[in-house]
Amino acid sequence: MALTAEELCSYSDNVNEQLARYGVKFGIYKNGEFHEQLFPFDVIPRVISHDEFAYLERGLKQRVSALNEFLRDIYSRRRIIADGVVAEEFVYSGSGYLVPCDGVSPPGGIYSHISGIDLVQGRDGSWYVLEDNLRIPSGASYPLIARELCRRTIPDAFTGRALEDNSNYAELLRRTMDHVNTGGHPVILTPGRFNAAYFEHSYLAEQTGARLVTCDDLVVENDRLYFTDYSGRKEQVGAVYRRISDEYLDPVNFCSESLIGVPHIFDIYRKGNVAIINAPGNGAADDKGIYYFVPKMIRYYLHEEPILHNAPTYLPYYEQDMSYVLANFDRLVLKDVAEAGGYGVVFGSKLSHEQKEEFIRMMKAEPRRFIAQEVIDFQDIDIYEDGVRVPRKADLRAFVLMSDEAAVWKCGLTRFSRNPDSFIVNSSQGGGFKDTWVMSE
Amino acid sequence: MTTLRFSYHMRLNFELPVREHHFKLRCFPSSDDRQRISYERVEIYPVHFRTEERDSFGNMCIYGTARQIHDHFTVDVEGTAETDINAKLRAEPHKTGLFKYDTALTKAGESIREFHLSLDPMNWMTEYERAVYMMNELYEEFTYTPGVTGIMTTAEEAFSMRHGVCQDYAHIFLALCRLERIPCRYVAGMIPGEGATHAWAEVLDGEAWRPVDPTHNRVCDDTYIKISCGRDAQDCAINQGVFYGGGKQTQEVRVIVKRKR
Repeated sequence: MALTAEELCSYSDNVNEQLARYGVKFGIYKNGEFHEQLFPFDVIPRVISHDEFAYLERGLKQRVSALNEFLRDIYSRRRIIADGVVAEEFVYSGSGYLVPCDGVSPPGGIYSHISGIDLVQGRDGSWYVLEDNLRIPSGASYPLIARELCRRTIPDAFTGRALEDNSNYAELLRRTMDHVNTGGHPVILTPGRFNAAYFEHSYLAEQTGARLVTCDDLVVENDRLYFTDYSGRKEQVGAVYRRISDEYLDPVNFCSESLIGVPHIFDIYRKGNVAIINAPGNGAADDKGIYYFVPKMIRYYLHEEPILHNAPTYLPYYEQDMSYVLANFDRLVLKDVAEAGGYGVVFGSKLSHEQKEEFIRMMKAEPRRFIAQEVIDFQDIDIYEDGVRVPRKADLRAFVLMSDEAAVWKCGLTRFSRNPDSFIVNSSQGGGFKDTWVMSE
Repeated sequence: MTTLRFSYHMRLNFELPVREHHFKLRCFPSSDDRQRISYERVEIYPVHFRTEERDSFGNMCIYGTARQIHDHFTVDVEGTAETDINAKLRAEPHKTGLFKYDTALTKAGESIREFHLSLDPMNWMTEYERAVYMMNELYEEFTYTPGVTGIMTTAEEAFSMRHGVCQDYAHIFLALCRLERIPCRYVAGMIPGEGATHAWAEVLDGEAWRPVDPTHNRVCDDTYIKISCGRDAQDCAINQGVFYGGGKQTQEVRVIVKRKR
């Protein structure tokens, strides 16, 4: 017999306690101090039907394939700029565009190995992509371990339900690493235990069989990357799943103050002697300004109509859009393209008269810096809080892994806002998460 | 055709011993449409391993590691350059857009914008003519003064003081061109005489890059040897390095360029 929702909820504390014991934590920096927080788990899963997920899967593969083509193009021939489809300024002035990547072809031609695409479902049931995360999307480990613990603790919850197994994430990830490996070991490069996602780094290393390393374990010599083991023996490394952002990856080539990077790793990457996952320079495609152009990219590179919708988006950079934004300011949500993690997001309706004037002044001075979007009233999902079920806003981060072909992990990270009035679900702002059940029939 | 002999010498002195010194050097002129380079000597000391590459601007780099403990690091490069003033430096059209936009060092602020607005309207000129005109105007406005700016000084900072050196002239010139969305790039190189490296700029004129020297307010002739180019001085950094130890460090640079007879 399957459990009722009420019976399921009675296990909430139990599962959260186990997650805490496993160290499923999220670290955040606040006022320059590091705080580790538990990542609250809600036992009521989000359920997505087989057919609905099949639709998402098609759309996600299409989207990530186009984004990958875009990255390949803007670091080589730049056809999409020459053909006037994407405004040059958005490419070159974006913070993620990394000039040293120009002319580099990464192993297998893959830039976006692991993509985290954030989606929401509107009240009418249609899905919208809110954001593409192509740099270092984190979060897959959370539903992965939560599922495992729930299966152990509440086996009855799964009885008689035909849902897709999600434990193959490690396999997908390992396949992605092996596919581009240039010869040698695969490793996961972590900045160390004071990173927000350290739990994830260690868990994924354990699950994939890749070595978990910090910069001290790696050394470049004679144009190859080596892992140095406890006895000082060197073994070649062919694939680095780095959980360090571009600017800290290599102190010789980028930020010289970086204490977590590997000197010269970028130089040998340029020569094709190691795979870096995800590829450096990926940020050029997940910039909030570039988001506007993704449906155009899909048409341009794949000659297909986009399957998934963007939230209706306006670029004040274009005069026509600027007038629309000014006329409809109070209905729109405005985002600073340089910010992430739910910061730099402003709802037009919530600004005072002075704040609004100030914002418009900034927007007119630097139109390239902002995008405006229609507010999507997304569906609420029930969570269990203090003994009752209450509706909250939630999104879904779907993971797409690229090897010989794009694969969508049949699960995902559902994040919800614990604040009933908030649309912002980011874990760095105190949100919680749920498991995502994809039904197999 | 002009033949020039060049030598570049750099020495870093460390107050305290250094180890695990990772370096990347960009002080090696390479052959292009305007210059043919042949090397007689490339010495780097100390070094555990070193290897060559070209960066994304096509600049030649040598990078490597000096593991052993050392208190100084030296680089010596010697060779000859045959330069051809009449040759066109062909541009790759798909790469020119990159040189139209600001970088941190070349972003125009209030003082550069104000100066730009004060210039006569230049609508009737070609992009290249506009660039040369702005170079003339900049030259009148700015005074060559060593010691008031550093390598991280921005165009805006230097221009608001109205004093600086060749790097500042080049950066301000680039900032002005970029306000007009004229593709232009920073060049690090050497000119005849004895001293430090020099900096100038290249402006896109149709399908070719034309080198101009804002510090001397002139079009570059056949005595200019180009080492590297990029969006700004940072892209042309001659020496990038990280190491353990070191304390205070001092750098000596000596460049000699002579016409060969």
